[in-house]
Amino acid sequence: MTFEIPFGPQHPALEEPINFMFEIEEERVVNVKPRLGYVHRGIEKIAENRNYQQLVYLSERICGICSFAHALCYSQVVEELLDLKIPERAKFIRTIVAEMERIQNHYLWLGLTAKEMGFETLFMYAWRDRETIIEMLDMISGKRVNYGMSTIGGVRRDIPEPMIKRMEESLNHLEARAEYYTKVCTKDPSILKRTVGIGILRPREARALCAVGPTARASGIPRDVRADEPYAAYGEIPFKVVTYRGCDVASRMYVRIDEIKESIKIIRYALKNMPEGPIRVKAPMRVPEGEAISRVEAPRGENLHFLKSNGTDKPERWKIRAPTLANLLSLCRMLMGVNLADIPVVIAGIDPCIACAERIALIDAKTKKLKVWEGKDLWRYANEWYRKRYGL
Amino acid sequence: MRRSEIRKQLRIRARNIIVQRDRRFFVNIEKKDLKRAIRRLMQMKNYTHLSTITALDVGSMIEVIYHVAFTDALVSVKVQTSKDEPIIPSIVDLIPGVALYEREIHDLFGVEFEGNPDLSPLLLPDGWPEGVYPLRKWWSVDRVLSKLGGKR
Repeated sequence: MTFEIPFGPQHPALEEPINFMFEIEEERVVNVKPRLGYVHRGIEKIAENRNYQQLVYLSERICGICSFAHALCYSQVVEELLDLKIPERAKFIRTIVAEMERIQNHYLWLGLTAKEMGFETLFMYAWRDRETIIEMLDMISGKRVNYGMSTIGGVRRDIPEPMIKRMEESLNHLEARAEYYTKVCTKDPSILKRTVGIGILRPREARALCAVGPTARASGIPRDVRADEPYAAYGEIPFKVVTYRGCDVASRMYVRIDEIKESIKIIRYALKNMPEGPIRVKAPMRVPEGEAISRVEAPRGENLHFLKSNGTDKPERWKIRAPTLANLLSLCRMLMGVNLADIPVVIAGIDPCIACAERIALIDAKTKKLKVWEGKDLWRYANEWYRKRYGL
Repeated sequence: MRRSEIRKQLRIRARNIIVQRDRRFFVNIEKKDLKRAIRRLMQMKNYTHLSTITALDVGSMIEVIYHVAFTDALVSVKVQTSKDEPIIPSIVDLIPGVALYEREIHDLFGVEFEGNPDLSPLLLPDGWPEGVYPLRKWWSVDRVLSKLGGKR
């Protein structure tokens, strides 16, 4: 018997509500259809009535977690149209903040995925450690989210010497913690049972579906804008693109934990080699006619902004493509054939911020009887299922 | 990547290829050549993926830009279609990953992608009036609002 299960769009904890219509046979997913638009705010339309300076703030509010990645991408695209050369020091500060944001995002993700698995301790641990990096971002920018650091022509705040000292201390702490999480996530039997071989995305499929970011890298594809098209100071900093070949949720976890370590190395190098000098140049209000594209590796993957200007102080068209949209089809592919109990973990796997589904309704295909599940029920169902089956 | 490589691969005139800067190419082609051009770009070495599809309102035409990513460049293929009959061949059979981008443009610009099996609404809510394409310039915020019967 086939069941149809609408999943979402309401879930209280996170941004980006989304609806998935699952077709289920017994307990296996046989078909998935995504439906977006529940938070479509029409930002691209709004942008046509705002000037370039106002849009810096708007770009930062596209996403609460990758806010800097969007602001950076937008600043770069305007700078390209203005033909503005930004100071070297600003480039390094941009790199540092972008990597701090990546660490922050990956710890957040690790915690949420742990929670989906019913591993509350790891959730608490990861979020406690995320607090360390958030405090550092607060110290530099004055804000815990939406840092307001990037602007057209450079960055808004400098990182002075005393801050560097404090950052080094917390980086040491975070590195030790990342080592610990590697140990936990590669050894703990309940994590392995819930993630290894779950939500498979083969490299061929990832290529065809244009997957980006850690989702692609966990399928063995070394796709990273930082390496392919260096922006900010990435061209001058040595780092390696982390890939794993497992193609499953476990690989997505290992990619992110290793990226935390890699980001720490990038920040250390950037802090040490940061040149002295100004941090921003003045940008004019009017932007000459033209078109430009900017790409940035956000924590979740490639971020693309296209901007067409018409010579006034307002853009003609500003197109934004955030990484989650690029990974949605890959997610649908991963969900095919998975067990109902694995849906939360697999959805969490691409880091779309929709893991915490508020409610789920089971419709019996024959009688059309509707059974509505809360997100909690699915969560309980998933954890019970594993407990009964494996005694975890 | 160099201009001559793209020119040789796509077999088009050099003046249709605009080199904006290092790593940035814009290619103007006809609608009927779109599928062939995308297929040929995919065969080039260093091809990685199709980043996204952008649509924009350029007066009486709608311009659709395909951003094809390579490890060493980003090639943006431009095609135009008239607003009266906005039909463009779908490339979903070549690259399955573009399905959502085509649906997005179908929602917001009303472009029909010939050959895409599923163009159901992706972003706009259920019950959205037919013929209202919010990102077309004619549909100003006030016009959309009055059509929807709402106030600012």
